[in-house]
Amino acid sequence: MVPISYYLILAAALFCLGMFGVLIRRNALVVFMCVELMLNAANLTFLAFAKQNGDLTGHVSAFFVIAVAAAEASIGLAIVIAVFRSRGTVNIDEIRTMKH
Amino acid sequence: MEALKQFFMTAPVDPATFAQSLWLIIALPLLGAFVCGVFGKMLGRGNVHLIACATVAGSFVLSVLAFWSVSHVQGGTPVAMESVYSPNAIRYAIGYDYGTWFSVGTFRVNFGLLVDHLSGTLLLVITGVGFLIHLYSTSYMEHDDGYWRYFAYLNLFVAAMLTLVLADNLVLLFVGWEGVGMASYLLIGFWYTDAAKAWAGRKAFITNRIGDFAFLIATFLIVLLVSAFNSQANVANFTTVSGAAETAQVRFREGQQLKGPVAFQGLEVLANALPQNAKVNAQAAVTLETPIAEGPLAGRTFGGVLTVALLLFLLGAAGKSAQFPLYVWLPDAMAGPTPVSALIHAATMVTAGVYLFSRMSFLLVLSPTAMTTVAIIGTITSLLAALIAFAQDDIKKVLAYSTVSQLGIMFMGVGAGIFWAAVLHLVTHAFFKACLFLGAGSVMHGNADETDIKKLGGLRHEMKWTWGTFLVATLAITGIVPLSGFFSKDAIFHGLHHNHLHGYESVTHALYYVGLLIAASTAFYMSRAYLLTFEGKRSPEAKIAHAHESAWQMTLPLVVLAVLSVVALVYALPLMPGRSGPQPVMENFLGPVFASAERIAGRADLVKLDHSVPGFGDYLFAWLVALTGGAAAAFLYMKYFPAQVGKPAPAFARSVRRFTQNKFYVDEAYEFLVIRPVKNVSGILYKLVDTLLIDTVAVRGTAWVTARVGSALRYVQTGDAQGYAAVMALALLGGAVYALIQVLQ
Repeated sequence: MVPISYYLILAAALFCLGMFGVLIRRNALVVFMCVELMLNAANLTFLAFAKQNGDLTGHVSAFFVIAVAAAEASIGLAIVIAVFRSRGTVNIDEIRTMKH
Repeated sequence: MEALKQFFMTAPVDPATFAQSLWLIIALPLLGAFVCGVFGKMLGRGNVHLIACATVAGSFVLSVLAFWSVSHVQGGTPVAMESVYSPNAIRYAIGYDYGTWFSVGTFRVNFGLLVDHLSGTLLLVITGVGFLIHLYSTSYMEHDDGYWRYFAYLNLFVAAMLTLVLADNLVLLFVGWEGVGMASYLLIGFWYTDAAKAWAGRKAFITNRIGDFAFLIATFLIVLLVSAFNSQANVANFTTVSGAAETAQVRFREGQQLKGPVAFQGLEVLANALPQNAKVNAQAAVTLETPIAEGPLAGRTFGGVLTVALLLFLLGAAGKSAQFPLYVWLPDAMAGPTPVSALIHAATMVTAGVYLFSRMSFLLVLSPTAMTTVAIIGTITSLLAALIAFAQDDIKKVLAYSTVSQLGIMFMGVGAGIFWAAVLHLVTHAFFKACLFLGAGSVMHGNADETDIKKLGGLRHEMKWTWGTFLVATLAITGIVPLSGFFSKDAIFHGLHHNHLHGYESVTHALYYVGLLIAASTAFYMSRAYLLTFEGKRSPEAKIAHAHESAWQMTLPLVVLAVLSVVALVYALPLMPGRSGPQPVMENFLGPVFASAERIAGRADLVKLDHSVPGFGDYLFAWLVALTGGAAAAFLYMKYFPAQVGKPAPAFARSVRRFTQNKFYVDEAYEFLVIRPVKNVSGILYKLVDTLLIDTVAVRGTAWVTARVGSALRYVQTGDAQGYAAVMALALLGGAVYALIQVLQ
């Protein structure tokens, strides 16, 4: 059996990739994809620990994360489309509306 | 004769009724100042003259009434004022208390006015001479556009001086003290468009402020001293005040609560209740040698604090009365209009110091050290000023230094304890010096404002009235026998010779001989000024060929003053019966005022006051001294110098003359010793504290820090989602690192 640390290292690598993507990328869609990546890294750790402990808590958590992420992605995509319609771009450098 | 005596001893108004109107004496000139100052321009010249002269004349009439009331005798008892401080009423005094002026805790000052023989005499001098000078000014200032401003200031000055004299406590006196200082600043710098004259005003003002500061500290010391006395003295202290010591103590405490610690009557009781040492009053809890038990002065003796306070009062008086360290403003004050010089710098304001010490004579006799210092300062001033006057060519400067010198003589009198003679000299000096100054003004008026006595000469025939009055006044100040100046000055010198300040006997004796030198110098320089101005031929350098006599408004005051400076001699003659033989009129007259001082001096062995009358030999000697000085001047300036015209003067004579003419470089020494260091220190402080510490560090530094912090914190709120995410990521990293460290440990 593969030791748990391998799963955790993989999850950490995925999380970091996603995080850097969120921090660096300009395109809102790519940023969303990177957020998904981070969530999946988290799911991976949940599942790894669930397997190790031999109970279902981790599975349930992962299930909820996926469900919430799907809902969030649908709303986020709706916002991105609305922003694209009004501004003609999804470059997050140019849509700093949180300033006000 | 008996009827005349009766007339003078019955006041036309009941003294108790009149006392309530004392405030009018001050209010009238104040009203005049207000009207002239605010509406003067609209009123026109004639009306301003009328208002200014009428208000002072009104004050004069009221002063006469006040004076008359003070001399009121009904059924053989003189007018007496109830004293809240002691069971004994004050003899020959009327006063009225208009209630509390202000009070802070137990400290209280009342607006109380008091007229006794001393302030009555001063009232007459101020309003009488003041009125003559107002009258003179109407002609002297007839071509000046600022006449309304001038008369407003002049009235203001008279009001302030009257406040000073009428005040029955130190704080109200200080109000008048400051008032005359301000009015004198305004008048000296009257022609403010001329920078030099404005500077002279500033110099007078600042020099006076130094003295006033000392005056204030001295007042605070007196307040502390009174409260220390209140807590420490016992009944036995008051046995000296009156028969029933307990009543006296109770009344003193009540008086303190009613009128505050700075009233002169209270200080008089205090001085009476402060025995010199245990030998005088063995039961007394407080003597001059007792240390103060508590409060800010704890550990100092009563006598020591009193001496320090009196010395500070001396510094204050030196500022106002132009005495030694602070006399420099008076000669420069001649920049103002000439009548101002006569009013302020001869007759009234400068005598405030003499008045102050006469008023507080009962405290002064408790401290021979302070008395000696006063006498020494007076002598130094007098001699220095007399020597400087030797070589001044400006007629007003000669008179100014002569005033400084005469004031020094008055201080010698006060310091030696011959208060009545000092006051008499104050009065006679007011007459003849005002006459001299107004005469000088008349000379300038008739000679196109020429003030250099070398460029005058021969005015005797062209300005007859001015000449005659100036001659009388010169003889008076010189000390020629039948005139008042001789008697008042000689009374001071005689007392100086005979009084004893214990521990300082040799000092007063030495001062007497310096006094003779001063008398001879006075005779010399005054004769010189007179001879060069009025005798001989008209100087070829004169501005105009023929001088003209001034208008009657100017000559009338001159004549009145000249007559007064002759007849005032009566006051020095020993015509009154005294306890030990005949007494001079003035001494008898001021007796009630200086009774406390006499009693205190008589009780202990600090000061021994002498009451002998100068004999014929003394008079002859003094007369010879004055005559020598005058004769020397006459010989030099009538015979010797005119014969030497054309020949070069020897080098040493020229250098001595230059040294004297430059006033012994005292101004330069002050500049070097005081003004320059103060300027440098303030320059350094300005650079260090103002520019560096406050401007750079405090003001600009705060702004700099705020701006830097602001620009750093700006990145926190860009509205950039990624920026926020980065911050979160960093926080996460930090948390992770922290968790890792915790786990690894």
